[in-house]
Amino acid sequence: MTSGIVGASGQAVIEEMAGQVQRWREEHGSSTMPTWTESGIPVPPLYGPEDAVGDYGTQLGVPGSPPYTRGVYPTMYSGRAWSIRPLAGFGTVEDTNRRLRLLLDEGATAINTVFDYPTNRGYDSDDEWARADAGLGGVAVDSIDDMVDLYDGVPLDEVSVSLVLSHPVAAGAILAMYLAAAKRRGFDPARLSGTLQNDFMMETVVLTAPSVLEPEFAFRLSMDVTEYCTRHLPRWHPVSFTGYNYREAGADAVLEVALVVANAVATVEAMRARGLPVDPVARRLSAFFTAGSDLFEEVAKYRAARRVYHGVMTERFDPMDERSTRLRFHVQTSGSALTAAQPLNNVARAALHGLAAVLGGAQSLHISAYDEALCIPSETAALTALRTQQILLSETGVTRSIDPLAGSYLVEHLTDEVESRVRKILANIDGMGGLVRAVDTGWVHARILDLACQATADIDEGRRPVVGVNVSANQAPTTVETFDVPETLPKQGERLMRLRSNRDNDAVTNALHRLEQCVVDGTNTMPALIAAAEAGATLGQCCDVFRHHHGGWRQPLR
Amino acid sequence: MPIRVAIFKPGLDSHYRGALTISRHLASRGMEVVYLGNQLPAGAARAALQEDVDVLGISSLSGNHLATVPAVIAELRAQGGQNILVVLGGIIPDIDRPLMFEAGVQRIFGPGTPLEHIAQEITLLVRERDAADASVPIGSPL
Repeated sequence: MTSGIVGASGQAVIEEMAGQVQRWREEHGSSTMPTWTESGIPVPPLYGPEDAVGDYGTQLGVPGSPPYTRGVYPTMYSGRAWSIRPLAGFGTVEDTNRRLRLLLDEGATAINTVFDYPTNRGYDSDDEWARADAGLGGVAVDSIDDMVDLYDGVPLDEVSVSLVLSHPVAAGAILAMYLAAAKRRGFDPARLSGTLQNDFMMETVVLTAPSVLEPEFAFRLSMDVTEYCTRHLPRWHPVSFTGYNYREAGADAVLEVALVVANAVATVEAMRARGLPVDPVARRLSAFFTAGSDLFEEVAKYRAARRVYHGVMTERFDPMDERSTRLRFHVQTSGSALTAAQPLNNVARAALHGLAAVLGGAQSLHISAYDEALCIPSETAALTALRTQQILLSETGVTRSIDPLAGSYLVEHLTDEVESRVRKILANIDGMGGLVRAVDTGWVHARILDLACQATADIDEGRRPVVGVNVSANQAPTTVETFDVPETLPKQGERLMRLRSNRDNDAVTNALHRLEQCVVDGTNTMPALIAAAEAGATLGQCCDVFRHHHGGWRQPLR
Repeated sequence: MPIRVAIFKPGLDSHYRGALTISRHLASRGMEVVYLGNQLPAGAARAALQEDVDVLGISSLSGNHLATVPAVIAELRAQGGQNILVVLGGIIPDIDRPLMFEAGVQRIFGPGTPLEHIAQEITLLVRERDAADASVPIGSPL
């Protein structure tokens, strides 16, 4: 190949450099130990030009141009900084509203609301399944009234709001409440911008719940939301493929990307089957990745993900709108890579994770708090994480030049490797009949669990060093003050009682009946969910309809 | 006789990576392991008795341990399972640990505990319990 990263005139120079590298390997290679990235990509101690010389135009290109390896937008952070989108949510809507406003006042530029366990799974706070978890892991939302109060004082037509509601059993109902609440407050739904997580893999693979929906039905519900948003909410991202969570459950970086891309393919195909062309759907899709500890592999992962995504969307769907092949993503730094032991070490870890995300060109970032492995972030921990983003943004100079690691022999080689490994998994999933089938048969569960067990064994047996856990673990225990979630259940119980006695219960019954009709006859459930939310139906009531017809799937674990 | 273990997630806690990896590890050490998924306290106790387990493992990462763990142990006692050993894994703040032990939890395994350590502790606990049982002569008042 004559035109390489170093340019056409450099071929003779490359050969000379390659010769030098070869001589180094002959001299020193035998005295170095072989190493691998976290995903198992072999990494020799020295890379040379021949490892990274591809075709600049087809492999890299400039930012904002295919194949988008170097970034989805032409000017990236030199045009606009990434969104500082810290995750928040705990206790009641009042508790979380206070935290959201604090973060906005202190420099957050976007909102990222996480819902508690019962809300994500579609149970009312006072349900017997929910009572022990009300307000934990996120904010408790049971009805439109809660949603109105959650964003009190927030200009919903100006701030982008991410709703971390992942399970399709409840994602549509929560979006319906958000839309109905925004309307009640006088905002035009068409002007709302934000993201709903809405990933069927969260319901069926990544997490567990008492009554899991069948994959096909969970996927159908998530597609109801996607279809509705595509037709009615031009500024909304209806789904964010949760690579982050695939990874937290055990996937490695390669599988994380492969499952995100496979999920996007499944989505566009499902929307085509509903009569929607690729462009209005694909240009609103978004993804959510982790940033783990293997710095260069993580940077390579984001770059490879953009290139694979562009390639796959182009090959399969031949879109007209170039936005349809751009992979835009939010990054949350890894929770599972943080340790309960010596928790202050996590400040350093999370900063390095965040560095990987911005070297990789993330659109939006949450840095995890140092007490992540211990509790819901305290105010101090949350602010430290926010400040870490601000340090990255304003002190390190990472925003000066776009895709700053481009041309690194190592990073380009890893980018190529991640891409080719992702392609192999995608072919494998195609062979199984697509992602929904691969979930249904348990293939995805098995892959993720195998990798989770391997990672645990690697740490337990010392092959993967973790400071404070299997290295330098004998330090006297350090503790940080842990955050206590304010009491939630009694307050939510009162709110629910008030709602149930004030609403028109016949109207609720009728709305739920119409929802059930949609479930049975296959029409889109979103309009019925919005009507139910407006009538004052609770989240649990809506989700019970889904569980009644399609719950009780046994996750194929072995 | 292999040691029999049941593992479950209380309430709506949904992070099951730890529960599954420890289940697989204990099985690889020759134990008979059943993963019960999400359970309410009464259901968990009933299933533990039905499965005739030596050890019931509770995996809680959501922070619901204060509300669920004592209730599970109370249910075990009420249903006649006082002989079943209860171990707890997950995110349990130091401040809550005494309460968990008071409620009857035998061991707590926090994040980062090597799986083999958990297997050894469980083996030890069951041996101790069986030795204590055997030291009581048959027919003597308990």
